[in-house]
Amino acid sequence: MNAAEMAKAVREAKISAVEIAEGAIGRIRLIDSDVRALLTPLFERALEKAEEIDRKIELKQDPGPLAGVPVIVKDNLCMRGQVTTCGSRMLENWRPPYDASVVRFLEEAGAVILGKANMDEFAMGSSTENSAFFPTANPWDLERVPGGSSGGSAAAVACGYVPLALGSDTGGSIRQPAAFCGVYGLKPTYGLVSRFGLVAFASSLDQVGPFARSVEDLALAMNVLSKPDPADATSSWRTRPDYAAFLGREHLKGMKVGLVSEFEDYPVQSEITEALARVESILREAGAEFVPVSLPTTIEAGLPCYYILAPAEASSNLARYDGVRYGLSAEAESLMDLYMKTRGLGFGPEVKRRILTGTYVLSSGYYDAYYLVAQKARIRISREFRSAFEGADMILMPTTPTLPFRKGEHQDDPIQMYLSDVFTLPVNLAGLPGLSLNAGYSKSGLPVGVQFVGPKWGEGTLLAAAEAVERVLGKPTCAFGGEKA
Amino acid sequence: MRKPRTPVIGLEIHVQMKTESKLFCACSTDYIGAVPNTNVCPVCLGLPGALPVVNRKAIEYAVRTALALGARIGLSTRFHRKNYFYPDLPKAYQISQYDVPLAEGGRLPVGEEEKRKWIPITRLHLEEDAGKLVHSARDGRLGNSEYSLVDYNRGGVPLTEIVTEPELSTPSEARDFVSRLRQLVRFLGVSDGDMEKGSLRVDANVSLTDPQGGLGTKVEIKNMNSLRSLERALEFEIARQELCLERGEPIRQETRHWDDGKGLTRGTRGKEEAHDYRYFPDPDLPPLVLSEAFVEEQRRLLPELPWDLKERFILQLGLSSEDASTLTELPGIARYFEGCVREGASPNRAANWIRTEVMRFLNEKKTSIENFPLSPEKLSRLLARIDKGQLSTTLAKTVFERMVTENLDEDEALEKAGAIAGKVSGDNLREMVKKVLEKEGPTVEEIKSGRDSKGKKRSFLCGLVMRESKGQADPAEVAKVLEDILDR
Repeated sequence: MNAAEMAKAVREAKISAVEIAEGAIGRIRLIDSDVRALLTPLFERALEKAEEIDRKIELKQDPGPLAGVPVIVKDNLCMRGQVTTCGSRMLENWRPPYDASVVRFLEEAGAVILGKANMDEFAMGSSTENSAFFPTANPWDLERVPGGSSGGSAAAVACGYVPLALGSDTGGSIRQPAAFCGVYGLKPTYGLVSRFGLVAFASSLDQVGPFARSVEDLALAMNVLSKPDPADATSSWRTRPDYAAFLGREHLKGMKVGLVSEFEDYPVQSEITEALARVESILREAGAEFVPVSLPTTIEAGLPCYYILAPAEASSNLARYDGVRYGLSAEAESLMDLYMKTRGLGFGPEVKRRILTGTYVLSSGYYDAYYLVAQKARIRISREFRSAFEGADMILMPTTPTLPFRKGEHQDDPIQMYLSDVFTLPVNLAGLPGLSLNAGYSKSGLPVGVQFVGPKWGEGTLLAAAEAVERVLGKPTCAFGGEKA
Repeated sequence: MRKPRTPVIGLEIHVQMKTESKLFCACSTDYIGAVPNTNVCPVCLGLPGALPVVNRKAIEYAVRTALALGARIGLSTRFHRKNYFYPDLPKAYQISQYDVPLAEGGRLPVGEEEKRKWIPITRLHLEEDAGKLVHSARDGRLGNSEYSLVDYNRGGVPLTEIVTEPELSTPSEARDFVSRLRQLVRFLGVSDGDMEKGSLRVDANVSLTDPQGGLGTKVEIKNMNSLRSLERALEFEIARQELCLERGEPIRQETRHWDDGKGLTRGTRGKEEAHDYRYFPDPDLPPLVLSEAFVEEQRRLLPELPWDLKERFILQLGLSSEDASTLTELPGIARYFEGCVREGASPNRAANWIRTEVMRFLNEKKTSIENFPLSPEKLSRLLARIDKGQLSTTLAKTVFERMVTENLDEDEALEKAGAIAGKVSGDNLREMVKKVLEKEGPTVEEIKSGRDSKGKKRSFLCGLVMRESKGQADPAEVAKVLEDILDR
């Protein structure tokens, strides 16, 4: 059952929310010792919430569009009174006194949050190996990584624990793990989904979005998540469409899909190239027209631009973890000692690397050469996308250059790790929506994802195109023997 | 030719905006006396995931301040993060403004009319206040403390920072500037402007020109929490620098703290750290874009500025410059005075009474005009009785005293003061005057012989009669009767 079907069944009292939650919990207990998608299970709380939903049903009240739907949220989303670690020792025991807006939106819509998903520490990483607690495995091959940083959320949906999960995407952290785990992952337009209560990595790039195993569920989730939020000054006030209204199109006639000329020479694994061709022909078949678009700066400057701006913002966002107010606080002799020891012990190597990089590029004497140049490159990349979308309604491109890599494969080589985000991070730099969808499996049985990128507020187009592909290729299947959730 | 060294002073002033809520969250700004860490929320505590949303009122107040200073408002500005670690700064960065401030330019006058000098303003911007450290040592100093506590109630309170050009040349000019600015923000109603309570904080940069008139090394002085200590600190610092230069010692570029008790500025021991604040635009806040209409609306809301008001009091109401200055020091006093005039009080008498009786009461009770028990209308009525000769000034003061301290209405107060005016009059009064004159033979002689050219003796006799009547006579009538009898 997907989320839409579950909510319908619960609202029609055909199944209780408690039964659904118990089923999901059972499946997690069965599988998660191998996959380790969950950092913090919230089963008792979930069952209580499920009971509340069932009570509402008994009282003929409407629990909302996600009535009884079990979901898992990335552990960088605050939940009042629940441990929110961000995958870091620094926040190992931190319990926020408030809910992230998206958490509130989910619960107001009747969703039942089953737990907090594992992630790369402070969302920095592409493999979930940077979690301070344990790595998560790829459900399709336990020796491989699930991608990251929202690896736990992606794996949870791929394992069929839940039909929906929330992740956050700063440079590909939803789309890359979605591709690696064979599920849908949507990074919305910057400003569409509230960031309030999302522990910041790079504020100008971060965006919360859903993982799902059906396009219908993505649309359903977007209807719940994409609300204007007065608590987030970067939240857009434009009226949101009904995302479900973009579905059910019989054909894609009139839709123009861009193919990026510069990407043709970029080294991408052949099975990904084949998947792109597969999706291209499906879309053509559905009536879409293909046009070449050009993104020369994007491919050339995107990665360095991102790896200047994101660490710069991170260095400032993570400065608050100083051991004075909350989180880890080391025994220390003096204030400076407290800062050094707390931050030395609390942060892992990748986080430290980025804080150092970010501090460096913002320092006087280097600001102009790095931060300012990167800001200018960012503007050019946005412009490039904008002109590309003058001739195209969306762009089809790879999500990642490779299939899921092995655990430990890139752990000693940050540059190789960074390169796995080369197709996703420009989308964050330009603030655009990007959807990663499964487009089949490799010979070795690994999922292969491709990415749709739209203009700002173009989520509807991406959903419509994804649905056309889903009709032909079918919905993504669950790892470990189909849907038992 | 050697020129004398002249002090060059520039000020950096932080003014707390009197908004109800903080700059980026809904917490109360009323931190004085509040239990530590009670006016806080995830936003002003900088908890992970919390985001700032700018307070419109704070923008309005800052824009009004800028407009009153004649500054140019930047219609598109932005907030920057100023990054540094300190326990009172919960996010480890302060949200401030950097390359594009809210306003630039503008000026403020110092000195009296004939010697008025306009001090140019460099810039004005908005930023958030930090929390407060409370050190455990008995002297409140960090150095001797076993531990320190942090109170974040003040964290996030809006501050408007005003930076002047270094064009002040004496400590008293600097003092005058701050006092004018304080008066201005009080008139605008945007701040308490209270240096003692820290709602107005002044840092000063001082240097001495070299003998060729070139700029000397700049020293920043901090920790002056009254106008008086600002002036003293500057005087000390200028003298210190002069002495250094005379002895041929170099002046270190440093920050020095004013010690009010010892009356000296003290350098921070050890080497000064060069701060690199790594300013960059705050990605959590979109650019602050103000419309022309918004700015015009703020301009429309500006009250009459204190110096304009003062001029009007002098020109239109005929007040002395001194009276006008005192009455325009605080907006509440100015409004009260205008209220009295509107109720028909003579401007000079009202001014005089407010400067003496009313202000004495306020000082004694340590209260403000807003809590003064007598409305302008009531005071005017009392003053009118003096004008009409129904009440002597002395008696009026007694009545006033009873009205304000015992909260009596006018009739009750008159009654209790035994001062239903004119009670002793006509024949009664004539008798009384005669009785007094009988006892004052020598004085009467003096007057009659024409030696009382200045009328002092007559006044003295008038006073005696008034005292005899326990103030229940009309002084005008007393004078008349006295004249009558003496001239006969």
